[in-house]
Amino acid sequence: MTQNIDRKPQVKKETKNKIRVEFERTALKDRLKAKYVSAFFLKRALWYIFRLLLLIGIAFVILQPFYTLISKSLMAPQDFVDASVVKVPRHLSMGIYRAIIVDVQYFKFFFTTLGLSLACALLQTFAACLVGYGLAKFKFRGNKIVFFAVILSLVIPHGTLQSAIYFHFSYFDILGILKFFSGGARTGIVGIDSILSKIHILPWPKGINMMNSIIPLILLSICGLAFKNGLYIFMLRQFFRGVPDELEESAYLDGANTFRTFWQIILPLSIPMMITVFLFAFCWQWTDDFYVRLFYISVDKPSLMTYMSDGLPLSFASLITSYTEITHQSADYVQAMKYGCGVMICLPLTILYLFCQKFLVQGIERSGIVG
Amino acid sequence: MTNQVNAASVTKAAKPVKKKKIASLDRRKARAGWLFVLPFVLGFVLIYIPILIESVQYSFNVYRVLDDVVIKEFVGWKNYSDALFSDADFVQTLLTGLQEMAFDIPAILIFSLFVAVILNQKMVGRAAFRAIFFLPVVLSTGLMESILMTSHAEGGEGMDLGMEESAADKMKSAMALETLLMSIFDGLGFGSGLVTYIVTAVQEIATIINRSGVQILIFLAALQSISPAIYESCQIDGATSWETFWKITFPMVSPMILVNAVYTIIDNFTTDSNSVMMKINATYQTNMHISSAMGWMYFLLVLVIVGLIAAICSAFVFYQRRD
Repeated sequence: MTQNIDRKPQVKKETKNKIRVEFERTALKDRLKAKYVSAFFLKRALWYIFRLLLLIGIAFVILQPFYTLISKSLMAPQDFVDASVVKVPRHLSMGIYRAIIVDVQYFKFFFTTLGLSLACALLQTFAACLVGYGLAKFKFRGNKIVFFAVILSLVIPHGTLQSAIYFHFSYFDILGILKFFSGGARTGIVGIDSILSKIHILPWPKGINMMNSIIPLILLSICGLAFKNGLYIFMLRQFFRGVPDELEESAYLDGANTFRTFWQIILPLSIPMMITVFLFAFCWQWTDDFYVRLFYISVDKPSLMTYMSDGLPLSFASLITSYTEITHQSADYVQAMKYGCGVMICLPLTILYLFCQKFLVQGIERSGIVG
Repeated sequence: MTNQVNAASVTKAAKPVKKKKIASLDRRKARAGWLFVLPFVLGFVLIYIPILIESVQYSFNVYRVLDDVVIKEFVGWKNYSDALFSDADFVQTLLTGLQEMAFDIPAILIFSLFVAVILNQKMVGRAAFRAIFFLPVVLSTGLMESILMTSHAEGGEGMDLGMEESAADKMKSAMALETLLMSIFDGLGFGSGLVTYIVTAVQEIATIINRSGVQILIFLAALQSISPAIYESCQIDGATSWETFWKITFPMVSPMILVNAVYTIIDNFTTDSNSVMMKINATYQTNMHISSAMGWMYFLLVLVIVGLIAAICSAFVFYQRRD
C-alpha cells in the first residue's frame, strides 16, 4: 500500500469536476486473495450465514401460523378431503371470506370494535400520559405510594379479580354514597334502616347496573386501570424522566402554567412514545376477550370481534351443509372458518402495525426505560 | 398609590416574601402533580381498592343470591382449605405452573437477549426482521392466542396425521435430539439436566418466541443506548467480540435483565393461557369463592417469587453512573 502512495499517479483524463487517475495497483487476484482468503473473512462469512439462517428460521416460526391461517381459510371444501393438499390450497375459494363479510356482516363488527378500541386506547394513552408525567416530574408527598399502586395494579392478575369486578360493575357504587342517597343503605339496625330507606334523592338503591355497556371499560380506561395500563404508565413515566427539566423551566419563565407546558411542550415531544403506547393499547383492546366477555353478559351480544368466531357455525350453516355433503364431516371446515376469522381480525391490526412499526423501537429507545 | 405601597413593602420585606414565594411554588408544583395523577388515584381509591377488598372478601365468604338478595356467610379459611385440600388438582397445577415458570423465564430471557444482540447488528433486511419479530407483541394476544396456537400445532404436522401419531412423532424426534445432544455434551462434561432443558426449549420454541416480543424490544433499546465509543475503545484494545459481549454488553444491559425478568414473570402468570390461570378460570365457572381463594394464593406466591428474583438479580446488576 505504501508503495502505491509513493508512486506518482498518472492523470489520464481531466474534466471540470471529474478526474481519472491511473496508477499501478496490486493485481486483482492478490487483492481478492487478501480480502477473502483469511480466517477473519471466513469467520465473518460463517457468522453472517449462521445469523441469516437463524433469523429466517425464527421468522419462519413466527410467520408459519399466520400462513396456515391464510392458506387453510382459502382452501375449497374438496381440498380438505384431498390428502395430497397440505400447505398450499389447490382450489382457491373465497367462500369463507365472502361468508364472513356478507353473512356475518364483518364491517358491522369492524366498526363497533374500532369504535370501542379507539375510544379505550385514546383514553388509556391520555390517562397514562397524565399519570406518567405527574409521577415523573413532580415531587409531592405520596409520589412513591402512587407509583407503587401503579405497579400493584399491573401485578395483580385480572383473573383473580374477575368475580369482584363483575359484581362491582353490576352494582356500581362510589363508597356507598349512591346507595345512601337512594335509600338503599343498610346497617342492620332497624331504627336507622327505616330512616335511611326514606332518602330518595337518587334512583339507584342497589347501585347502577353497568353491565352490557361500554361504561365500565371507559371508566377503567380513564383511570388507567384497564388491561396492562400499569405498563403504559410505567413506560411513559420512564420517558418523561428522561426529558430535561430545563425545557419546562424555560416554559415557566415564559409564563406558561403547568398544564400549558404539558400540553404544548411535553406532549408534542413524546409523540413516538405515545404512538407506541397507543399501538399497544389499541391492539390489546382489539383482541381482548377477558373484559369484553366479563362485561357483556346479555343474550344479544354486541358485534365485537370477540364474538365474531363464536357465532360462526350458525351463520355458516348453509356452507357447512354443502361441505358435509362432500366430506361427511365438518370439523376441519369449522376450524378453517375460525382461521378465516383470525385473518380478518388480524388484518386491520397488521396494517396499523406496519404504519406504526418504525415508532416502536424509536419510542422505546427514547423512553429511557433504559437508563 | 397602592402600587407604590406594595413596591415599598416588597423592598422592605424582601427576604421573607421571597422565602414564602419559593415555598408556595413548591406547594403549587406538588398540587399540580396531584392533579396529574388524580385520574389514577381516584380510580384506584374508588374502584380498584373496593374491588380488591371485595375479592378478598369473596375468598373468605360464601355468597348466595336468593330472590335478588345477596346473602353473605362468613366461612373463614374454608375456601382456602377447600382449594388446597379438597380440590383434586389445584396443588398439582400450581406446582406444574411454577415448574413451567422456572423453565420459561431463563429461556425467554436468554433468547430475547440473543435475538436483540443480533437484531442490533447492521445487516441487510434488518428493518424487515425487526418488523416480523415484534409482530407477536401486537397480534398474538387474547383472542388470537388460541387461534394461532391451534394453527401452529396444525401447521407442524401433516393434514392426515392423527393426534396420537403426531405425539409419537414428536416423542421420537425429541428422543433423537436428546441422544444426539447427550453424546455431544457428555464428551464436554455437561450434565443430562442441561440437555433435557435444551431439548424442551427447542420443542417449546414457538411459545418462547411468541412471548419474548416485548423483552426483545426492551433489550434492543438498552443495546442502542450503549455508547459506541465504549465498543470502539474495546476494539482498539484488541478485545474479541465474545469478550466484548461479556465485559461490556452484558453488564450494560444487566438492569434491563432485572426489568425483563420481572416483566416476564408478571406477563407469564397473568396470561389466560397459563395452566394455573386456566384452572382458576375453570373453577370460576363452578365456584367463584374457591376461585378467588386460589387467585389470591397464586398471587401471593408469585409476589414472593418476584421479590426473590428481584433481590437476587439486583445484587448482580451493574448501574452506570452518568452524572
